[in-house]
Amino acid sequence: MSIPLARRQFLAGSAGGAGLLALASLLRQRQLLAAPGAPASLAARPAPFPPRVRACIFIYLEGAPSQLDLFDPKPRLNELDGQPLPDSFTAQVRFAFLQKETARLMGSPRLFRPQGASGIELSDLLPHLSQQVDHISLIRSMHTEAFNHHPGQLLLNTGSQMFGRPSMGSWLAYGLGSESENLPAYVVLTAGRGTSGGTSNWSSGFLPSNHAGVLFRNQGEPVLNLANPPGITPELQAESIAGLAALNGQRQARLGDPEIASRISAYELAFRMQAAAPELIDLSGETEATHAMYGLGRQEPELGNWRGGPQGCFEAFSRNCLLARRLVERGVRFVNVVHASWDHHSDLDRQLSLSTQMADQPVAALLADLRQRGLLDSTLVVWASEFGRTPLGENRKGFDKVTGRDHHPFAFSLWCAGGGIPGGQVIGETDDIGWHVTRDPVHVHDLQATFLHLFGIDHRQLTYRHQGRDFRLTDVGGQLVPKLLGTG
Amino acid sequence: MAAALWGLSGTPVHAQKALPPAANRTVDFDTEIRPLFAQHCESCHGAQKQLSGFRLDREGDALRGGDNGRAFTPGQSADSLLLKYIAGLDPDILMPPEGDLLTETQVGLIRAWIEQGAKWGPDRPVSTQSSTQPRHWSLQPILRPVPPTVRQIAWPKNLVDRFILQKLETEQVSPSPEADRATLLRRLSFDLIGLPPTPEELDQFLSDTRPNAYELLVERLLASPHFGERWGRHWLDLARYADSDGYEKDSPRPYAWRWRQWVLEALNRDLPFDQFTIEQLAGDLLPNARPDQQLATGFHRNTLTNKEGGADPEEFRVAAVVDRVNTTGSVWLGLTVGCAQCHSHKYDPLSLRDYYGLFAFFNQADEADLPAPLPTDDHAVVPALVQTSPVRQSHILLRGDFLRPGEAVPPHTPEVLPPLTTPANGTPTRLELARWLVHPSHPLTARVTMNRVWQHLFGQGLVSTPDDFGTQGSLPSHPQLLDWLAAEFMLPTLEMIPPAVPGQPPGYRGPWSLKRMLKIITCSATYRQQSHPRPELVDRDPRNVWLARQNRIRLEAELVRDAALASSDLLVRTVGGPSVRPPQPSGVSELTYAGNARWKESSGPDRYRRGLYTWFQRTSPYPMLMTFDAPESNVSCTRRERSNTPLQSLTLLNDRVFFECAQRLGELAWKSASGSTDQCLTSLSRRALGREPTPEERQTAASLWVRFQDQLKKQPEQIPALLGLPSPPESPDAVAPDDSLERATAVLLARLMLNLDEFITRE
Repeated sequence: MSIPLARRQFLAGSAGGAGLLALASLLRQRQLLAAPGAPASLAARPAPFPPRVRACIFIYLEGAPSQLDLFDPKPRLNELDGQPLPDSFTAQVRFAFLQKETARLMGSPRLFRPQGASGIELSDLLPHLSQQVDHISLIRSMHTEAFNHHPGQLLLNTGSQMFGRPSMGSWLAYGLGSESENLPAYVVLTAGRGTSGGTSNWSSGFLPSNHAGVLFRNQGEPVLNLANPPGITPELQAESIAGLAALNGQRQARLGDPEIASRISAYELAFRMQAAAPELIDLSGETEATHAMYGLGRQEPELGNWRGGPQGCFEAFSRNCLLARRLVERGVRFVNVVHASWDHHSDLDRQLSLSTQMADQPVAALLADLRQRGLLDSTLVVWASEFGRTPLGENRKGFDKVTGRDHHPFAFSLWCAGGGIPGGQVIGETDDIGWHVTRDPVHVHDLQATFLHLFGIDHRQLTYRHQGRDFRLTDVGGQLVPKLLGTG
Repeated sequence: MAAALWGLSGTPVHAQKALPPAANRTVDFDTEIRPLFAQHCESCHGAQKQLSGFRLDREGDALRGGDNGRAFTPGQSADSLLLKYIAGLDPDILMPPEGDLLTETQVGLIRAWIEQGAKWGPDRPVSTQSSTQPRHWSLQPILRPVPPTVRQIAWPKNLVDRFILQKLETEQVSPSPEADRATLLRRLSFDLIGLPPTPEELDQFLSDTRPNAYELLVERLLASPHFGERWGRHWLDLARYADSDGYEKDSPRPYAWRWRQWVLEALNRDLPFDQFTIEQLAGDLLPNARPDQQLATGFHRNTLTNKEGGADPEEFRVAAVVDRVNTTGSVWLGLTVGCAQCHSHKYDPLSLRDYYGLFAFFNQADEADLPAPLPTDDHAVVPALVQTSPVRQSHILLRGDFLRPGEAVPPHTPEVLPPLTTPANGTPTRLELARWLVHPSHPLTARVTMNRVWQHLFGQGLVSTPDDFGTQGSLPSHPQLLDWLAAEFMLPTLEMIPPAVPGQPPGYRGPWSLKRMLKIITCSATYRQQSHPRPELVDRDPRNVWLARQNRIRLEAELVRDAALASSDLLVRTVGGPSVRPPQPSGVSELTYAGNARWKESSGPDRYRRGLYTWFQRTSPYPMLMTFDAPESNVSCTRRERSNTPLQSLTLLNDRVFFECAQRLGELAWKSASGSTDQCLTSLSRRALGREPTPEERQTAASLWVRFQDQLKKQPEQIPALLGLPSPPESPDAVAPDDSLERATAVLLARLMLNLDEFITRE
C-alpha cells in the first residue's frame, strides 16, 4: 500500500515521532487483516465486469410529477376530457383520494411538440430539457406496486417497500468503494422542503453504516460539524489530529487491534474533508457562463404557496445541480439530488409550472455541462420519481374544483442519460389515456438491475447476508432493459 | 477477483490454479462444514431439490454422489469432484453457480474435513422439513447439560468457565490473563450501568482489598438506578421505540416515554423475565389488570403509524399487526417469521398458516390511549393495547396483501413448537400466547434471551445471528453453554449468596431473574479476561469465537454521549421522565416533511441528560446518535452495527455538545492540577479513560502540551473562545497574566482525550 501524501504529512507532523514507522506498518497490516466482520473498506474496488459508468447523479423529484403534463402526450385523453372511465379500468384499483364513481378524465393543457433530431415530444414546460432530448432515453412505460409516497420512495431508492434496506447508492458504495480520497462515496443534496421519507431514502439499511448517504447541505456547512469549534484554528486542528494519531498509535502498538488503525484513518479523512468540502461548495472558481447556464442568480418568481419550498429554492436547486457535477469530478460515486414535493393533487398547472421552472434549466445545464467536459460517458444521470399521476382528475371529498391528479403506479415516465445509454430514444408506450403500459413495461427493479449493470455489476451477484438470507437491491426481480444498454 | 467484492471474507478460490491446502487442524463438521453446505449448496442439493441427482444434506446421499460420480471419498481429498467444482478447477463447472463462491480458506476447511474421514457428526440433519428427522437444534427441548470436566481446574470461577475452557483446551489455547482492575471497573460500569467510573470510584476499587471486592462491585452496579437505563436501552432497540409516528406526517408521540419509564423501573426491580414478557404482550388481559400492567402493552404501540393523506387505514392497521408478529418472532422466538408472511418459510418449519396463526393473536389487539395511571397527571394518556371486541376473524393474506384474504385462520402457535394451553372457553388470546412463550418447555425464549445477554457482555452472541435461530442462522459456538444458561435462567440451581450491600435490599433473584444471570456471567473468569487481540490466534480464530479473550467494543451511540458528559461532570443523572432535546446542529429537523418536528432546544439541566432520553423523531433522528449507529427504530433491532467513520470523528471533534464537554473537562483537570501539567494529564486520563496514564503517554502528552502552547502563543486571540469566554474588546498582544494560556491548553488536551479510540471503547 502506498501511503498518500496527505497521510505522510500527517505522520511526519505528529508528536510521537518514534512510533511512526510502526504505525505505518500497522496501517499496512490493517489492509491485510481485513477479516470477516471487519468494517468493509471504503477503498475503490474494481467492478466484476467492465463498467460503462463510474458515477451516478440521481435526480429524485419526490411526490410524482405528472407524466401526462411533461413526458407522455395523450391527444385522445384531451378529447375524452370530462368523460367517465369504463368500470373495467377502475374495478380492481385503489386510489388515495379519488372517488371512483364520480371521477372524470382530465386532459392536459400542455402543448407537446417534437424536439431535436429524434423528434421526441416533450411538454412546453421543459424548454431547456427539449434542447438535450437527443441525449436522453425517455421511458414512458415505468410501473411500480407502491401506492403511497413513503413505500414508493423506499421501493425506488432501496428496491423494497420495507424499511431497513440499503439504498442504491449504499449498494454501490459497498460494492465499488470510493474513488475520492477526500469525500464520501455517496453524497445527498436536498433543496426545499424535506422529503417525506427523510433519511430512510439514503439509508445503508443493514449494510455497514459507513456506506450510508452523507447529506451535504448546499449552503453554509456542507457537512454537519465540518467547521471547527470557536477558538480551534486550522493549525490547532492539525496539531490535534497529529496528536490523536500519536496517542492512538501508541495504543495500537500495545494492543495490535486493526480497529484503532481504522480510527486513525477516519480522523485523517475527516480532516481532509474539512479542507475539501468547503472547496467543493465554493463556486467562485466557476465561470460566469457556468453560473448563468445553471441558472444561478436568476430571477425567481413569487412562489406563494408553492409546494416545492420557500423563496430561494430555485437558487438552491441550481447550486445542487452544479455541485453534483463538482462531486462527480472529485470522484464521488453516487450523488442524490433531492427535491420535494411534486405531489400535485390540486392546483397542478401552477404548481407544476413553478416546479419545472425551477428544475428544467439546471438539469438541462447539467447534461450539457457533463457532455462538454467529457464526463457524460462515464456518468449516469437519472430523473425519477416514485410513481406517476392519474389521467383522472382528482375529485377528492371537499374539493370544490378538480385541479389535480391522484397517485398512479401503473404507468409513469422517467428518463436517464449518459454511460453510453442511447440518446434520443423512447422506450415503451402507454394506452390512449395513459392508464396502462402497452409495450415494453419497465419495473423499478428492472431499472435498478440495468443501472447496476452499467456499473459492471450483476444485480443478482451483489448480495449481503442478513437475517439468514442473501438480500439484493432488486429483491427477487429485475430484468435488464436491453434498449437502455443499446442491445434491444 | 470479482467475487471477492460480494462475499465478506477472504480470497475467492476460482482465481486459483491448484486446490487450496487443507486446513491444518481438526475440523468440526457441525459448526464449520455443515453451515457451508447449508449456505452454498443445499438450495439445489438439499431436501427440496437434488440437481444432477446430488444431495448434500444427508450423509448417505452425499457419499453416494450424483450424476457426475462420487463427490468425494473420505480420507482422499486430492481427486474430489466436490472440491474441484467449488475451487474452480473444473473447466466447465463452477459451484455454486449463484451467490458467493467459497473462499480459499473455506475450501481448505472442507478439504481437511474430507481428509479427516468426512465424519458427519451426530445424526442431526440441517433440514427439518420431514417429521421423521430430528429437529433443528434450537427447537429441541432445553436439557441442562452437565458442565464438562477440564484440566486447568484453577481457572474457572464458575460453571460458565468450564464450557469455555473445554473448547480452549481442545484447541490447546490458554485463556487470556485477567484484565487489570481499572479496566475491569470501566468494563463493568459500562456494561451494567452504561456510565464510566468516577475518579473516586476508581480509587475506591483500586484500594479495596476485600477478597470479594469484584463481586461487591457487581452488586453495587446491579443495584444502581442507572442499571435500568442501560439495560432498558437494549430493550428499546428490540421494541423499535421512538417519540414519533414515522412515515410522512411523523407526528409526535408525547406520551411514548411512559412505556419507556415502565421498562426502566421493571428492570431496576428485576421483574422476572417471564412476567416482564406477559405484561408487555398481554398486560391488559391479566385478571384485574393494574394500570401499570396495561401500560406495559405499550411495547407493541411502538409500531409506525401512517397518517399520510390517502393512506388506507386498514392497510396500515394490518402493517402494524404484521410488524407486531415479526417483532415478537425476532425478540422471543429468534425466528425470521416474517418470511412466512407471503409463503411458507423456505428454510424453517413455519408454514403460511402458522404465520397467520400468530397474526390472529395480534389481529385481536386494538390501539387505545388510556388515562395515565397517576392521578397527578391530569390530561396525560398512555399508549396501550386492548382486546378487540367483537372478535375480528383473521385470514391468510395472499402474498401478504390485505386486499386478498384467503382461508380463515384461528389463533394458534407454530406446529413445530410445543402446544399452547388453550383456555376452557376455547379461543386462546395474547395472554395464552405470552404464557406459552415463557413456559419452561419452550425451547426458544430462554435461549434467545440468554444469547442476547451474552452478546451485550461480549460484543457477540454465542449464536452470532441473534434474530435467527433457524436453519439459516449461525449455529451456537458453545451450544452446551447456551443451554446451561437458558436452563439456569428458568430454574436457578447455582447457589449465590449476594453479599449484603449496606442499605440495599437483595432484590429479586429467583427464576427468570436477569440480574442473577448478569451476575453469574460477569463474575466468570471468561468475562474478566483481557481484551487484547492475540496475534497467534488471528488466523485460527479471527472472530474470537472461542473466547480466549474478551472483546474490545466501541461504545453504543448513547454511551458515547454519556461518557463525554460524565467525564466532564456535566451529566445530569436524573433517572426517567419525558424525552428531551439537547442541542443539535442547525438545519437537521428542517429536512423532514413533518412541520411539527421542529427542534426546540431544551434548556437548563435537560441539555445534559443521558442519550437514551433524547427525543427520537423517526424522520430526522438526532444526528449524533445516528452517526454512531443507533437503530433507525422503524423495525426491531437485535444487533447494532459498530461502524468507524469520518463523520464520527467530526462529531467528536466539532459538535458543540462535545466541545462544551472538552472545555469543562480541561478546566476541571487544570483546576485540580495545582499548576502541574503532569498532574493535569493524570486527571484527564483518570476522568476520561478511568486509569493512570502510561509513562509513554505522559511523555507524548507533555510534548503535545508544549506544541499546543507554542501555537496558542502565536494565536493568543483564540484563548477566550477556547475557554468559552466573550472576546475581550481590545485585541491583546500578549498572553493575559493569569493562567488562561494553561487553561486553554488543558482544554485542547481534554478535547484530544475525548477523541481517543480508547475513550469510546469498552476495553
